[in-house]
Amino acid sequence: MLTTIEKVIFILLALVSAGFTIHGIKTIVDSVRKGRPTPELKNVPSSLLKAGVAVLFQRTIFKARKVLSTIHLGLFFGLITYAFVNLVDVLEGFIPGFELIYGGRNFAFTFLPAGIINAFNLIADLMSGALLFSIAVMMMRRFVVKDKRLNYRENVLLNPKVKAGAHQKDSATVGLFVVMHVAARLLGQAYRLDTGADPFMPIASFLNSIFGASQTGLHIAWWVSIAWVLYILPYITRSKHTHFTVGPVNLGLAKQNPHGQLDPAVPLKVVNGNHYDPGAKFLHDLSWKRVLDSYACVQCNRCQDVCPANFYGRPLSPSALEVNKRYLIKEATFGSHPDRLLLPLTETVISPEAIWSCTTCYACVRVCPVGNEPMADIIDIRRRMLIDGAEIDSGVQNALQSLATNGNWMSKGKRLRGRWAKEMEFPVKNATEEPVENLWFVGDTASFDERVIPNTKMVARIFNQAGLDFGIMYQNESNAGNDVRRVGEEGLFEQLVEQNMQAFGKAQFKQIVTTDPHSFNTLKNEYPQFGGKFEVKHYTVTLLKLFEEGKLTVKNKLSHYKVTFHDPCYLGRYNGGFTAPRKLLELLGVDFHEMPRNCENSFCCGAGGGQIWMGKVAPGERPAENRIREALTTFEKNSSDKKQLFIVTCPKDMVMYSDAVKTTGNEGKIEVRDIIQLVAEAVGVEMPIEAEPAPSPA
Amino acid sequence: MNIVVAIKHIPSIADDLPVKGNNVDFDSVDFVLNEFDEQSIEQAVLVKEAVGGTVTVVGVDLIGELDNVLHLALAKGADKAVKVTADEPGADSHQQAKWLAEAIKGMSPDIVFAGVQASNDLDGQIGPMIAAYLDMPYIGGVSSVEAAEGTAIVTKEFAGGNAGKYSVSLPIVVGVQAAPKPPRYAPVSKVRQVAQTATIEKISPSADGAGAGLSMKKMAPPVVTGHAEMFTGSSKEVAAKIVELLKSKGLA
Repeated sequence: MLTTIEKVIFILLALVSAGFTIHGIKTIVDSVRKGRPTPELKNVPSSLLKAGVAVLFQRTIFKARKVLSTIHLGLFFGLITYAFVNLVDVLEGFIPGFELIYGGRNFAFTFLPAGIINAFNLIADLMSGALLFSIAVMMMRRFVVKDKRLNYRENVLLNPKVKAGAHQKDSATVGLFVVMHVAARLLGQAYRLDTGADPFMPIASFLNSIFGASQTGLHIAWWVSIAWVLYILPYITRSKHTHFTVGPVNLGLAKQNPHGQLDPAVPLKVVNGNHYDPGAKFLHDLSWKRVLDSYACVQCNRCQDVCPANFYGRPLSPSALEVNKRYLIKEATFGSHPDRLLLPLTETVISPEAIWSCTTCYACVRVCPVGNEPMADIIDIRRRMLIDGAEIDSGVQNALQSLATNGNWMSKGKRLRGRWAKEMEFPVKNATEEPVENLWFVGDTASFDERVIPNTKMVARIFNQAGLDFGIMYQNESNAGNDVRRVGEEGLFEQLVEQNMQAFGKAQFKQIVTTDPHSFNTLKNEYPQFGGKFEVKHYTVTLLKLFEEGKLTVKNKLSHYKVTFHDPCYLGRYNGGFTAPRKLLELLGVDFHEMPRNCENSFCCGAGGGQIWMGKVAPGERPAENRIREALTTFEKNSSDKKQLFIVTCPKDMVMYSDAVKTTGNEGKIEVRDIIQLVAEAVGVEMPIEAEPAPSPA
Repeated sequence: MNIVVAIKHIPSIADDLPVKGNNVDFDSVDFVLNEFDEQSIEQAVLVKEAVGGTVTVVGVDLIGELDNVLHLALAKGADKAVKVTADEPGADSHQQAKWLAEAIKGMSPDIVFAGVQASNDLDGQIGPMIAAYLDMPYIGGVSSVEAAEGTAIVTKEFAGGNAGKYSVSLPIVVGVQAAPKPPRYAPVSKVRQVAQTATIEKISPSADGAGAGLSMKKMAPPVVTGHAEMFTGSSKEVAAKIVELLKSKGLA
């Protein structure tokens, strides 16, 4: 189809395009390779294959925004189709007679049956329509309706280019490309139909009925369509649309270790004898996978939607973190600012205030369709800030200091940890002195907080009544360190692990039971790296088992309670502990109503990752308050006179939500209870008459 | 600038304070660094950061566990650590001041910082007594120090939120009420690193008795006599109850 001169021009243009594209790819690869080693990835080909299948079925994107995800199908399959279409179009330009494949007529290459040709034409034609429709919807959403979810809060640190709307321009460019490219190609197909409509090219046939057939038109359309491709390929390597190719790869290279196990502060594998300081100050202190994340991100902002800190008005947007990283590299490589790579990440990528707003709830990582882990960046930055002596919140500092000296964050003496147990009406075994089947790791809040201790005692009573052989470690227990590690104090975390491992060494037990999901997470997922070989169970699982074994029986069904349940992040999203609490509630016979955000999609109470220690409280609706309102709305839809309960299975939740009920003025409408209180009522625990709290030192 | 910080290791009150005989049961209580000394270490490091010099931290090792505290101070920016190995948990502030003064004497300090008081005896004697032993002037209740060659501007707190600025000539002993910034956090990994590498100079205490000459006759926890009464109800009801109470006490 092309003349010789045209062919020469095309080849020259293609070479230029390929040159810029390869340069773009090389720049990305070089930047990624400068990152630190990640924990070893096993069986990479099979993970990539799995990710490929997930992408093909668009599985990960449907975790949120079902309608837009459906539109994304059009983009995804449309662009894949067009990769083939463009290849065929180029062949057409170069191989005489190739154009005859269109319409399945007079086909020169007889080895392909007409059926396949027709199918190709039909798919290409329909996908052109799907692509145009999808891109139109997406562009309408961005530029006409102006979906707020695509914006960043005013207080979020943004690269100046992003602040000036570079990402909008980026979207417009690629959107325009898709429209022009597909429209030109469709029009070309219409011009081609000189013998009238082709049933396998319905859209082109329709256009043909308007524009007619024209060889010149076809020729021009071919050039417009293909020239766009030559422009857009190198462009993509310099834009957020690296997403197209890096997204699936990144998903395949995503974290393989348990969700609840943080990467070490210093890579375990040392490359070329490099020395690594713990955590991350500069971009290339992050692991290469964290750098790659930024190229996979297309700024859909699903992470921002589910971020409790962002909801709370804090300056944190996981998506902004990713885009800032990419622009930082872009300015250093394609732009004229390599010096900016030598600025701390806290100046270029994420503000210190945002760093300290993260609750480590994992919602951003969970929802990300391309396997990004912005939370990991945040923790690495915290780690280095602590080492470098950055000023930290005074509440956090007090907590850490107390943890270092007392083993708990509440500035209580070690010996006070088991005081609640000594007040019980039966002896609670000391697991470091006599063998027990179940070592109950109680945790700080449940051991020390006056508001939670009644529930702790109730757990002991139920265990006792069910004949469960259990004990606690009294003053030998230290904070498990889950949140210490997530605040970035790796050294203190290691110290706490050592203390607890020493205590476990003194004890004889079959398994560990925890009441605190945070302790549960680190004991289960992180202690094994420090030699901890034990089974860890959350008390909801233990309770369920006691019911199943008949050691606990429901005497009073609790149908007079209307109940909803909050999944704690570290039990649910991190460790998949969704069923035990729900089965328990079913056994107890409560009138159960699920909140819209449940299980994987549960909304953080706002306490995790050290937030509960913060001395400063930011203004605005707190996540926990929002959650209480969500529960009340759920109840309103199922209105009845029953008493309304908000059930928790985490001591921190007890504190957070009891406060939130008060601060939202909903006392009397909804009550926060630990699941153990319901169990106690249902199985009929004889309550001792609570003595007056012991007056302090008498 | 040669900066010295005199610190004090005291029984922790995170636990219930155990009493044995007529004193604290020192065997079953944890010891911690006096809170005001945390401030004074911070102040010392701030001065060093501003004008240069070395910070030497010196304390009396009462129970053989002072190293932890000294390591922490080194991790926070002190340069040298010295301990007087006394092994006498009940040594009073007069005795400790004497030992500290003897340890500091040879250091020819420009500024000696000491916490303005400690929560175990609340007598605020360490600073003034060190000053007396070293024949140096003393200024207490200090919340900020800006040092220069041979002089310092010292902010001293007074009642009612008032503050006075003094220009003092060095050397001087300063009783620190609070540092201008909250004491910095020393990451545990750094403290552990210091613990492995640091050497702590040991000084034997002189045999001279220098105690206050007071002896404790009895120590007992306060007797609980009553509980606070919490008013409940709506804000109007609570207000009414408060008014009633004030009236019954003849205050309204």
